[in-house]
Amino acid sequence: MCGRRLRSLIGVAMYRVLGRFRIAPQRVLLSVLGVGLAVGLMVAVTGVSLGLASQSVVQSEGVDYWVVPEQANVESIAISTGGVQLGDVHRTNAEIASDERVEYATPVLLELVPLTDQQTGERTYVLTVGIIPQAGAEVLGLPADALTPGDPHYADGQYDGPWTGEAVLNDAAATLTNTSTGERLSLARSNTNRSFTVANVSAGGAQTAGGTVPVMLVHLSELQSLTGSANGDAADQLLVSTNDPAVRQQIEGRYPQTTVVTRSGLSAQQVSTSNLPLAVALAAFFSAVFVGVLFVTTLMGLEVSADRRQLGTLAAIGVSSRSRSVLIAAETVLISIVGGLVGILLGFLAIGGVNELAQTYAGVDTIALFQPELAGYALIVALCIGIVGAVYPVWLTRRTGMLEVLS
Amino acid sequence: MSQRTQTPSTSASATPVVQGRGLTRDYTRGSSGFFSSSQAPTVRALDSVSMAIERGEVVGIAGPSGSGKSTLLHLLAGLDVPTAGTLELDGTDIEPLSGRQRARLRLETVGIVFQRFHLLDALSARANVALPLVERGVGKRTRRERAESLLEAVGLEERVTHKPGQLSGGEQQRVAIARALVTDPSLVVADEPTGELDSESGERVLDLLVDVADEQGVVLASHDQQALDVCDRVISLRDGQVARRQ
Repeated sequence: MCGRRLRSLIGVAMYRVLGRFRIAPQRVLLSVLGVGLAVGLMVAVTGVSLGLASQSVVQSEGVDYWVVPEQANVESIAISTGGVQLGDVHRTNAEIASDERVEYATPVLLELVPLTDQQTGERTYVLTVGIIPQAGAEVLGLPADALTPGDPHYADGQYDGPWTGEAVLNDAAATLTNTSTGERLSLARSNTNRSFTVANVSAGGAQTAGGTVPVMLVHLSELQSLTGSANGDAADQLLVSTNDPAVRQQIEGRYPQTTVVTRSGLSAQQVSTSNLPLAVALAAFFSAVFVGVLFVTTLMGLEVSADRRQLGTLAAIGVSSRSRSVLIAAETVLISIVGGLVGILLGFLAIGGVNELAQTYAGVDTIALFQPELAGYALIVALCIGIVGAVYPVWLTRRTGMLEVLS
Repeated sequence: MSQRTQTPSTSASATPVVQGRGLTRDYTRGSSGFFSSSQAPTVRALDSVSMAIERGEVVGIAGPSGSGKSTLLHLLAGLDVPTAGTLELDGTDIEPLSGRQRARLRLETVGIVFQRFHLLDALSARANVALPLVERGVGKRTRRERAESLLEAVGLEERVTHKPGQLSGGEQQRVAIARALVTDPSLVVADEPTGELDSESGERVLDLLVDVADEQGVVLASHDQQALDVCDRVISLRDGQVARRQ
């Protein structure tokens, strides 16, 4: 079929769909709504699974690259205690940070540290994040300004520099430990006389379905000293903020045994490395295609049956069976794509609604994410629904006899 | 209403636009049962009808309901194939052709005017007229120009962008005639073209069909004596056979 004829048939299909919207919109609207609901549900569920996947990752607005060991994955980092780590991180970080294209770089060590509740004396655990702070830096949504810049205790690898004992807590950690700015934090460990003082309490921190994770930011070397990571100068990952994409190559060259994950690659890796969100997203995909195809097939089948006279007319005036099939397939795909657009809107609203409900009733800021890629994904799914859903209406079209038209 | 004064083309080389010899059409009524060995009953709708139509000729087909008018019209338009006999459309025997080839032949040689117009509701008058040209792969600009010139020829130049629902019955039938002519066919087949129209609109439609016959052959099935009066000759059918030729 020549391109000109195909374009013209798609144009005719568009006019016929618009005409139906004008003359007898019920079935077309139902088809659009059916696909819209299916795609919207898929977008919402996929948004939730993306949210689930992202909750176990150290994210920061200013971070463009995550450097992680090859055997590890991004998803596992936030809960990694004893997993594969990077070594000699102070020196490597200094080399990366010395590049003028890099705005900020810091190693990140994550450990669960036991603290004692100031009022009840009970032991409680806080996710403690060791970093090398810099003015204006922010990690896990917590500003690190209250920490002395640099890492004084490191002292060129001697770990005998001044102990600042500064800690920045998020609201959840402050509530959990019953502390506020200026108060001392007691470590629930008998083998150390070290302690921390709350330098600042701020909103922010990692979100999970159970609420905000209690997080405490401290200097890297101090956390290393407390947890035994000073031996080998270990950390879980490096965060790098830059506006220059060429920096990636430099980072990759610096650490041959690592994986450098970009911001755009993070979502894909989050989903691919976590079975549950991936399973949820796949289930949503197949459900959406199944429900969408059922809607489109049924309603377009009814539409073709109601339209037999016009299809017979087309056959009688010499429009070939193939062209009529293309016409009906194009109409089905067009309706599905309109449904897909409606679905994107519904999904966006549903994600907003889910987050609103989660915040109101569970105190969780974000459990579902809407990323722009979701819109493209939804349109591709709508296209698939249209193509698969067109099979039955096209089959019906080919069976439409034309003699009844003249009778 | 214009009266036919023109005689059909009589040049020796002229080939009839449609020629049927011994046209017979049987229809099976129902189907034989899965466990039954008996044949399903057949009904003979048309029995050994022969006829030819030349360019410039308007031929009427008359007869009561069930006489075989529609069946003959379907065969002449290439919509159906005879059970027995031969039919040539513009010199092409339709019997060995596939459905797709017959559709192509119809597109190129036959224009059909239906009793109930059968325009596509969603399309404008111009788009309806241009529809067969879409199938022929004609460019948009050419399609529009051709459709507009035909709509002008049938007196609807002011109604080019109107949808069928915004047109009267007579206007819709004139759009249908323009659609039938848009591919410049050799044969125009009209099935009760005035059946849904008042007498004034019907008269105008018949005038158009008579004018068309200067270039094409026209075959017109009707109960309406006013319509049959404009024909050069009329074939009357009864029980599937030719009862009378006038």
